Parts: sequence; C-alpha cells; structure tokens
Amino acid sequence: MHLGELRKGQKCTLVNIHGAGKLKQKLLDMGFIFGVDIEVVREAPLYDPMELRIQNYLVSLRRNEATLLEVKVL
Amino acid sequence: MIKVALAGQPNCGKSTIFNLVSGIHQHVANYPGVTVDKKVGRFDYKDKKIEIVDLPGTYSFSSYSLEERVAKDFLYDESPDIIVNIVDASNIKRHLYLTFQLLEIGIPVVIVLNMMDVASRRGIYIDAPKIQEMLGAPVVCASGAKGEGGEAIMEAIVLAYQQKEQYQNFKINYEELEAFIHEIEAEIAEVNVPLNRRWLAIKILEEDKALVEKLGDNFTYLQEKAKACEERFHATYDKDISAFLAAIRYDSADVIFHKCVKVTKSHEETLTDKVDKIVLNRWLAFPILLLVMFLVYELSIVYGYKLTDYTWPLLAMFKNFVIDILPEPDLIRVPMMTDLSIWMVNSAIALINYIPIFFILFALIAIMEDVGYMPRLAFILDKVFKKFGLHGQSTLPLVLGGAMVGGCAVPGVMSTKGIADERARMATILAVPYMNCLAKVPFYTLLLGAFFKEEMGLMMFYISTVTLFIALIVSKLLTSTVLKNRETAPFVMELPPYHLPTFKGVIIRSAQRVWVYINKVVTIVLAVAIVLFAMLQFPGLSEESQQKYDEKIVQALSTFDTKVKKSSYYERVDTKEEVSALINYYDNYKAKRMVVSGAEGAKSVDESFLKKDAKLFIFVKPENDKDAKMINSALRQISNVRKDVLRQIKNEKIENSFLGMVGHSMEPVTQFAGFDWKINVAFLSSFAARESAVATLGSLYENNKADSKRAEEAMYENSGYTPLHAVAIIIFMILTPPCIATMIVVKMQSNSYKWMFFAIFFPITLGVIISSFLFSFGSVAGWSGVEAMSYFYVVVVFLALFLGLIPNRQNGWLGGFKHKSS
Ligand SMILES: Nc1nc2c(ncn2[C@@H]2O[C@H](COP(=O)(O)OP(=O)(O)O)[C@@H](O)[C@H]2O)c(=O)[nH]1
Ligand SMILES: [Mg+2]
Repeated sequence: MHLGELRKGQKCTLVNIHGAGKLKQKLLDMGFIFGVDIEVVREAPLYDPMELRIQNYLVSLRRNEATLLEVKVL
Repeated sequence: MIKVALAGQPNCGKSTIFNLVSGIHQHVANYPGVTVDKKVGRFDYKDKKIEIVDLPGTYSFSSYSLEERVAKDFLYDESPDIIVNIVDASNIKRHLYLTFQLLEIGIPVVIVLNMMDVASRRGIYIDAPKIQEMLGAPVVCASGAKGEGGEAIMEAIVLAYQQKEQYQNFKINYEELEAFIHEIEAEIAEVNVPLNRRWLAIKILEEDKALVEKLGDNFTYLQEKAKACEERFHATYDKDISAFLAAIRYDSADVIFHKCVKVTKSHEETLTDKVDKIVLNRWLAFPILLLVMFLVYELSIVYGYKLTDYTWPLLAMFKNFVIDILPEPDLIRVPMMTDLSIWMVNSAIALINYIPIFFILFALIAIMEDVGYMPRLAFILDKVFKKFGLHGQSTLPLVLGGAMVGGCAVPGVMSTKGIADERARMATILAVPYMNCLAKVPFYTLLLGAFFKEEMGLMMFYISTVTLFIALIVSKLLTSTVLKNRETAPFVMELPPYHLPTFKGVIIRSAQRVWVYINKVVTIVLAVAIVLFAMLQFPGLSEESQQKYDEKIVQALSTFDTKVKKSSYYERVDTKEEVSALINYYDNYKAKRMVVSGAEGAKSVDESFLKKDAKLFIFVKPENDKDAKMINSALRQISNVRKDVLRQIKNEKIENSFLGMVGHSMEPVTQFAGFDWKINVAFLSSFAARESAVATLGSLYENNKADSKRAEEAMYENSGYTPLHAVAIIIFMILTPPCIATMIVVKMQSNSYKWMFFAIFFPITLGVIISSFLFSFGSVAGWSGVEAMSYFYVVVVFLALFLGLIPNRQNGWLGGFKHKSS
C-alpha cells in the first residue's frame, strides 16, 4: 500500500521509495529513510497536498508524490 | 582575515545569528550566475578580522537543488577557514543530519545550538559538552532571537581558527561502503585540492556530477566508475548508496540524540500544533488566508498609498527646488535644460514615490517568512495553482502583482525568489506582470470616466478580476510550451514551527530589498527616461511653425502694451524682457499658491514673493490700486496666451518627434485595434513609468482653449473615439508589457535577457491581436463597449477554467513513477 492512500490521523512505517534521482534524494534528505514512522497529520483544505509528521517535524507532500512511497500501516 | 561560512538547515535561525554577529555591516550580492542572495558580513573580534558568509539554507549537501549547489560550490571554490553550523536545538536530530555532512568536509566546524529558549520551553535538555566531546567540534549554545550567544560564537570562531593546525578530520564509519570509498580515494590521490579526499570520494560515490567536473577533464571517467560501484554495491547488499548513506547519517544523529538529549515533557501539543489546527483547518484556512492577504494589501498598498500623501510634499518640495534653480523660460522659448531636468525629476519621483509602499510590503513579507506562514500559504493553495503550472508559493507574488484593485509587479516578481520549483518560478515571474498594476488605474479611470460614466463599477470589476485569469492562462500556456522542459520540484516542503520574528531581522531585510529597488531599478529607469525625452523632443519644431508661434506671442505682447500704456507703472513693464520676467513671476506665484492651503500658507507665499520682488508683487496682487489692476488683468490674459501657445508647441513637437513618427508608422497595424498615433505614443512613452500614459494622453487631448475642462471630458469630446475604441485601448493596456522597472526585475530573477525580451514582446503581440480582433469584430457586429468587454471577460474566464483541467507534466522528479507505470 502507498502513502497516498492514507487518510488523516493514520500512521505507518516507510517500506520503500519507488522514486529515483532528485525526488528520492530529496525525500531521503528530508528524513524519509526506510523504517521511519510517518503520521498523516492532516490534508490540505482541498485534500491535496497532505501534511506528515516524520522524525518529529512537519512536511507536506503532494498526493501524486506520496503514491511513490510504499508503506505499512500501523 | 578569518573566512567563515554559515551553514544550516532552513529556519534554524541562520539569518538571525548572522545579524547578531555582523550587525548592519553586511551587504548582499548574488552568487555568480544565479539569483541566490549571498550575504556577506564583516566584523572585528579581539583584533581579528572576520568575514562571514550566509550560505543558503539546505537540508543536505547533495547537489540536487540550486541552494545546495551554491553552498557546495562556495565551500569548494572559496575554501573558508571555519564552518559555523547552526542547529535548531528544539529539533536537534534532523539538524544533526546536515552536521555530519559538514563535519566530513574537512574544514573545522563550530556547532551552534540555536533556539535554546524554545528547546527548554519544550522540556528538551541537551548535554552540550558531551556533544562537543563526541563530535570533536566546539559546541556553543545560543538564542539568536533574544540576542544571546553572539559573543560566545565569535570567541569559538577565533579559538577554532587558532587551533586549526591541530584539527583532525572527522570520520563516520560507513561499514559496507568503506571498501568503495577507499577505492575512489585511491583514484584521486593526486588531485590538488584543499579539501578532504575522503569527502570527495563520498561525493563521487553519491554521483555528484558537478563536483567531478570541477576535478578537471582527467577525471570524468570517475562518473562511470561511480555508476559501476553503485551497481556492484546494489548487487552485493541490495541497497542504494544514497539511501544507505542517508540511513547511516540519520543513525549517527540518533546516537547523539539518545546519548546527549533528554526530553522531559513527553509528546505535549506544541504551540505550532495548536496554531495549525486553526490556520490549516479545512473551513477556516481560506477565510484566514483571505484575511491575511487583505491585511497585507490594506497595510501596504492602501495604507502605504496614504503614507505617500505625507512623502509626496517632500518630493514636490524637491521638484520645486529644482525648478527654482533652473533657467526660466523666455516667453515661449523654454531652455532645453529646464525641460529635461523637469522630465527627469518627474520620472524619478514617480518611482521614488513607491518606496513607502515597498518598504511596508517587504517588511510584511519578511514577517510572514519568519513567522512561518509562507509554506502554509503554499500548502493551502497548491492544488489550485498546480493546475496552471504554478506552485503554492506563487500565491504571494500574484497577490502583490495586483490580485485586487491594483498592485505592483516589481515586488511581486522580486518575491518569486523562494519558489522551489524552477518551472513554476519562471512561470510566476512571467505571469505576475499581467496582474493589475496600480499605476495603470488612473489610466483606466480616465478612459472609464470619459466613455463609461454609467457602467464604471462593472467595468472596473471586469478589469481588476480579469487580470488574474489572464495571468493563469499565460502561465498555463508557457508551462505547456516554452517552459515545458524546465525542471520541476517535488512538493516536499517543511512546515516549520512558528516563531516570532525579530524587529531587527525584519527591518534589515526590508531595507536591503528596498535598496535593491533603488539601486537597480531607479537608475536604469532614469537612463531610459533620458532616451525617451530625446525621442519626444527631436527633431523639434519646423522653421515655419516656430515663426508662426513667435508671431502669436509678438501680437500678444503688443496687445499687452496697448492695454497697460496708460498705467502709471508703465515704465516697469515697457520692455520685452520686463514683461517676460513678469509673466514668469506671475506663473510661479500661481503655481506656489496652488500647492499651499489655508491662510497661513497663502501668507507665507505672499511674503516670499514680496521679498523676491516688491516692485512686481503689486501686479500680482493689486488690491485697490487701479493702475496696478489694469496691468494685472492684461497680465492674466497674456499668461493664458502663453500657456496656450506652449501647449500647441508641445503637441506639435510630440507629433513631429521620433516617438510621434513611430506612433504614426504603427497606425497601419494598430488601426485594426482602433488606435491612432496618439494612443500609440501614449503607450510608448509610458514605458519608463506607467504614470506618464495619463499625462501624455492628457496633454494630447487638452483642448487648446485654456479653460479648465477635466481631462475626461476633453478626451470624450476631442478624441472622436467610441466606447468600443476605449475597450480596445483598455484591453491592450491590461495586456501591455510591463514597465521598465518590472522588466529589470524580470531580468534579475530569471537571470536572462532572453526572458526579459520575451516578457516584453509576448504581451504586445497578444495585446495587438486580441484588441484588433475585438475591435474589428465588434465594429462589424455593432457591439457596445460594455458588450465587448463582457464577451472578452466571459471568454477569458472560461478559457482559464478549461485550461485548468488539462494536466501538466512533471519533469525529472517522477522518474520512478514512469518506471513503475511502464
Ligand atoms: N524563539 C527563538 N526564535 C528564533 C531564534 N533564532 C531565530 N528565531 C526566529 O526563527 C525564525 C527564522 O529565523 P531565520 O534567522 O530567518 O532563519 P533562517 O531561515 O535559518 O535564516 C525567525 O522568526 C526568528 O526570529 C531563537 O534563538 N529563539
Ligand atoms: Mg535566512
């Protein structure tokens, strides 16, 4: 299952990143490393992008980018 | 001199610390070839000169984003003596991720734990000496916003510099990767660079192309080698090098966190969480956003405009002062020097007049940036703007450009700097100039007042709202054509904790931005103003015309002479020179009286003119003196004649001028839009500053009788235009290319003349085509002005909505996505 399918309030751990190049590097640098816990804090008023809590800080991600993150729901 | 680089992740308080140590001894430049600000500060501490450079905030040191590239280039090319790494103590784990990368570089690092106040508020206790011991780098605690820690930081810098020789390179054990690092290190053993080879080797393994290129032509093969290493590593351990490195660095940060940090208040809701619950609430987000935008607009544009009521008299005083010291006209012969100076002063104060507005605007932007509202703004609106190839961060530039009654593209374009997505940034730069420019408003008012007295409200609504749709259409068109292949960025954006901004930080930043405006914009606009002046002045009047006007004034002189002969003061005005001086004296007096108000002001003007020349004053204000009254009435008459002749001369000069010729020569094309040469000249002359369009049109249509008809009426009666003409003109003005000031900032932000020229000629073409179409078609179909405008409006709105439905392609970043779906 991928992160884009999650709703507000759900938590998950990151299993894999299906991106390459820049996107992947950027995600890694922002703390999206394998096994990290991710919480969907809220969705934007128009449902996209979504706000995540990861490594104890807040990051926003567009839904179509979130689909690249394979996760396991907790 | 000690060269210091200031590095840290975004929002760690880097700029605050920078301001704290360097005070106002700082200057802003650009890094070579890019539009990223480079702030340099200099200060002395204990007899040591220290130069500190504020590197752009970066999460990491991979070279994917522009900021990271710039920061890395700086470290590589300038090899500073010390790196000062600012760490947000309240979020230490993530910030240490960058710290480890900095430590590897091989330059001594001083770690500054900033925001200690926030950390202790959140119950985070940090054992700084232990971190110092574990990392082998001095650690200083600070609270930048409170002004705490500056001294200690300087002390640490000097100390680290003195002990530079004893510095030992920091190493992380990369376990499985070590063999590969050694392999690459061996390859570059001979390279002559001042940097740590191990770091270079790691960078090469990260496939940092830019860095490999810096090593020179002999080493390009290393790129291939790095790729081979990656494949081998992947085959052996089933991991990517980049993910592996990131994981090890996070683990290292985790180790420090667990050994040196204690969190006593466990998982309490922070202030940021509470505020976000309201600010990002599904139902409240938009009202709050509108309120914030409204406030920004109200405070800067509306209130700032009111503020210009106070600054304007100062500028007017300056103008009057200049006029006073210039040579006076001799009847109808105005010295060129005088004309030119007044034109230049007018152009300059038209621009300087905006400074209060800009200052407030820049200060408000700085506050929103520091508070942390900007990324939230992007978060809320991204979905809408994304559809037009823009970015959530395009909101503010568009609002500043004039989303409401009128704004200014200059600060709008200048505020595109932070947009992470390159394609969206370019699109925003090119779209903002279509927004409703404040200086165009008087022009619209003039035309609406002349041709749409009844429907003024509706027309103004059309004008001010259609601009946003046009901007969206333009950006959609550009991003799906010429900008199609530009880099896009993912929306991986931090929503930083809210912080109170510091007064000093806000003032310094807004002053710096205003200075950029004065420095870059005003100077160039003045240069262009000179050119325009010359084009409006030359070749000037023909011999016959000059003679014709001379005769007129000679006749007026003799009329004056017969009228005043019987006056007892006749010998004061019996030569041509005396009359000329008297007319100047009279006109000056009238002009001064116009600008002062109240009995006090009038009295002081009277006194100063009495002092200037008591003998002439009596003709200006004759009271009950019959003989003086006689001269006064003749004087009024000849003054009016002169004004009239001067106006005719000006009109004829404009028509015969080079600009007039250009205007005439454009008629064959512009006639389809209903524009005659006068409109063409008005558009051309408004290039330096939009304001002059009204002035030029005003003076072209003033009926040459010297009565005081308002410009609107004069235009309505004398131009021979229909409301349809007016609509074509208005639409062209809506689309008309940005003024020079905007053009210069477009050049600055896009870093290319090509785009600047594009920003000029694209709208002109678009404007001519649309106005021509509407005018020609409307003439045949017999549309009224309002009808034509309504059709235009409806078509634009629908086109925008339609285009919004077509999806945009994301470039580069979604490489993995394509992989997956194929
Ligand atoms: N409470 C607190 N706020 C700080 C401190 N240092 C900086 N800030 C605030 O944090 C925000 C971001 O700071 P800035 O220097 O612009 O961060 P930069 O992005 O790293 O340059 C501003 O509103 C500062 O006023 C600090 O030590 N304590
Ligand atoms: Mg900063």
